[in-house]
Amino acid sequence: MPIIQDLTTGKKVECKTGELLLAVLQREKIYVNNACNGKGTCGKCKVTIVNGEASSMSEHEAGMLTTEEINSGVRLACMTEVTADITVKTQNDTTAMKVLSAGYIPEFDKDEGLTGYGIAIDIGTTTVALSLVRLSDGEIVGKAAGMNSQRAFGQDVLTRITYEMEAGEQGITDLQKAVVDSTNQAVRTMCAEAKVEISEIVAYSIAGNCTMTHMVLGVDARSIGVAPYKPAFLEAQTRKASEVGLVGAADATVYCLAQVSGYIGGDILAGAYVCDLKHQKKNCLFLDIGTNGEMVLAGNGRLVSCSCAAGPALEGMNITSGMPALPGAIESVEMKDEKVSFGCIGEEAPKGICGSGILEVVAELIRTGFVKPTGAFVKKKKLSEDDWRQQYLIEDENGSAFLLAPGVMVTQKDVRQVQLAKGAILSGFLSLLKQAQVTVEDLDEVIIAGQFGSHLSAQALAGTGIIPKEAEDKVRYVGNTSKTGAYMALLSHRVRKEMEQLAEDINYFELAESEGYEQLFMECMRF
Amino acid sequence: MDKNELYGKIADAVVEMEDEEVVELCQIAIDEGFDAAEVIKEALIKGMDKVSELYETGEYFLPEVLTASFALNEGVDLLKPHMKQETTSEKVKVVIGVVEGDTHDIGKNLVKIMCESAGFEVHDLGRDVPIDEFIRVAKEVDADFICMSTLMTTTMAGMKLLIEKLKEEGIRDKFMVMIGGGPISQKFCDEIGADAYTTDAAAAVRKMKELKGIA
Repeated sequence: MPIIQDLTTGKKVECKTGELLLAVLQREKIYVNNACNGKGTCGKCKVTIVNGEASSMSEHEAGMLTTEEINSGVRLACMTEVTADITVKTQNDTTAMKVLSAGYIPEFDKDEGLTGYGIAIDIGTTTVALSLVRLSDGEIVGKAAGMNSQRAFGQDVLTRITYEMEAGEQGITDLQKAVVDSTNQAVRTMCAEAKVEISEIVAYSIAGNCTMTHMVLGVDARSIGVAPYKPAFLEAQTRKASEVGLVGAADATVYCLAQVSGYIGGDILAGAYVCDLKHQKKNCLFLDIGTNGEMVLAGNGRLVSCSCAAGPALEGMNITSGMPALPGAIESVEMKDEKVSFGCIGEEAPKGICGSGILEVVAELIRTGFVKPTGAFVKKKKLSEDDWRQQYLIEDENGSAFLLAPGVMVTQKDVRQVQLAKGAILSGFLSLLKQAQVTVEDLDEVIIAGQFGSHLSAQALAGTGIIPKEAEDKVRYVGNTSKTGAYMALLSHRVRKEMEQLAEDINYFELAESEGYEQLFMECMRF
Repeated sequence: MDKNELYGKIADAVVEMEDEEVVELCQIAIDEGFDAAEVIKEALIKGMDKVSELYETGEYFLPEVLTASFALNEGVDLLKPHMKQETTSEKVKVVIGVVEGDTHDIGKNLVKIMCESAGFEVHDLGRDVPIDEFIRVAKEVDADFICMSTLMTTTMAGMKLLIEKLKEEGIRDKFMVMIGGGPISQKFCDEIGADAYTTDAAAAVRKMKELKGIA
């Protein structure tokens, strides 16, 4: 039985000979980035073997690592079998991530005579944000935020749904347990800090995307993962907290906000409600940018929505030097007076680029002519020898790239990934405008919601053409409207009714199936 | 203008995505009495090969490939009526579609375009294609390749199912199975026993030619 000694956590664990390293680490709860859940596509499950040998490296694995990494003993855990005793260095956990909780709360009619405490939760695919609320007056007496433990089964909803497909009922149970356990842990912490008894919690209000809502309730989400992407339910859900496994008073209840469709969920509904898209008179496009760019447009008296398969490029995945928004991540880039400067999270030496950094650097690359409107890098030979850009432009057997910082590059492929994401989101944006018959000029506001969106400057969004240039000055940020919506629903039955009605009022249309979509997508890819 | 010079210009026009110029030059080729099939193969398709290369190096991307293929098709449409009646040509036959449960087909469409541009005979089954349908049509047209695409991890299992069904029917060796798409990898290809996996449309066509022993 080989023994694995991990220098990062100090843990010493045993496993069977020939066991997959990824499986061992997961079982022993040693953190490893498992974005694609062991499919061999993300390249993020790197572990360094400091001492000892493991199974030989396949060509596929070698192709996903740099020569430097291979020479330093880096392996991908999903393709490495433990054959003998080894000493490893696993990755550092991403608990340092800053999670967005604050947001603006509109006026609303609170229920009278409420007693006890409630929990308002935004269950995001990546992060979970909670508030402990005193129900009598709506005062928020505690806050918590952290990573969604389901990430052990994959970074995105489709990967987690795939896990359900592969593991069946056990998979559904595992996923529910992961999110419920980490929620209970957060609830206990908040209660302890606020000196509130668990038994005083009488209500939960949850806003999550469709898949997250299914999974927290232990409902089979598999149908969401295949066309026609029909969820098991769209209506708001109520359960006993004990049924779901959430802690609280014996008769505590759980309310989950309604969904609009498989890919426009309770979190977006909450946002649309909080921004009062239905009643306000302006032409307003509400946008939640992430792996799925979800948007709702209020225009000409109509409410239309769609979801775009933007892909994880904007969150740092599939990007050569991509990384989450942690210390060492370049998050802002400026090119002025023929010099390149950047801002790094945590003031450390830059290790990579996070989502907002990717957008900023690409916007600058386009603006300064490193990258042509087609998305191709300009050729060194086309620039004069003393052009300031020469020193930053690399051309080698891998193609063209921009050197942002030592060891941090933006390659041609990276630009293409951004182009794909941009094509997806912009085509969604324009399609919605067309559906509601609103021109970009007539659009009054672009409301950006969510954790990720709050870090993206309007300049970078328009600069990369993710939103039309004319929309740059119309951008407004609203923070975590999902949690705000959950908070409001916690305290008001009237809000719940109105949200349920709103879910019915919002029309969803399937972007990929709309007429002329492919052509539009191609056009939207141009910078 | 001599033949090779003309063919070179036609190829360049495809690469430059100049559809009007392609049509003009192809008309000249027709007027000069050059063999239509040869013009397609030695000029238009050669141009598309260059486009393929540029796509693989990252200089060209999806929009350019699409626009270039549009230019190519304008030329082909002009030349088709002038093609001599040939005996059954040794065209590579491809059955392609997006796996059941998935409706994202832009990638698959790109592969289709590249295959047609390379002179293959393509039977496009569209999106959300039942596994049995892939097999039925492959048998019907006596396909060389069954190509499956998906953008989602949730539908990948369909690819494995196809291979199992082919084995069950005892016809696994009749077709070469190629897979592609965002979540697909060589690892997955090896796991399910597919014949090939490529990262993009240009590499797909190259691989198919390689497997068929064609230049």
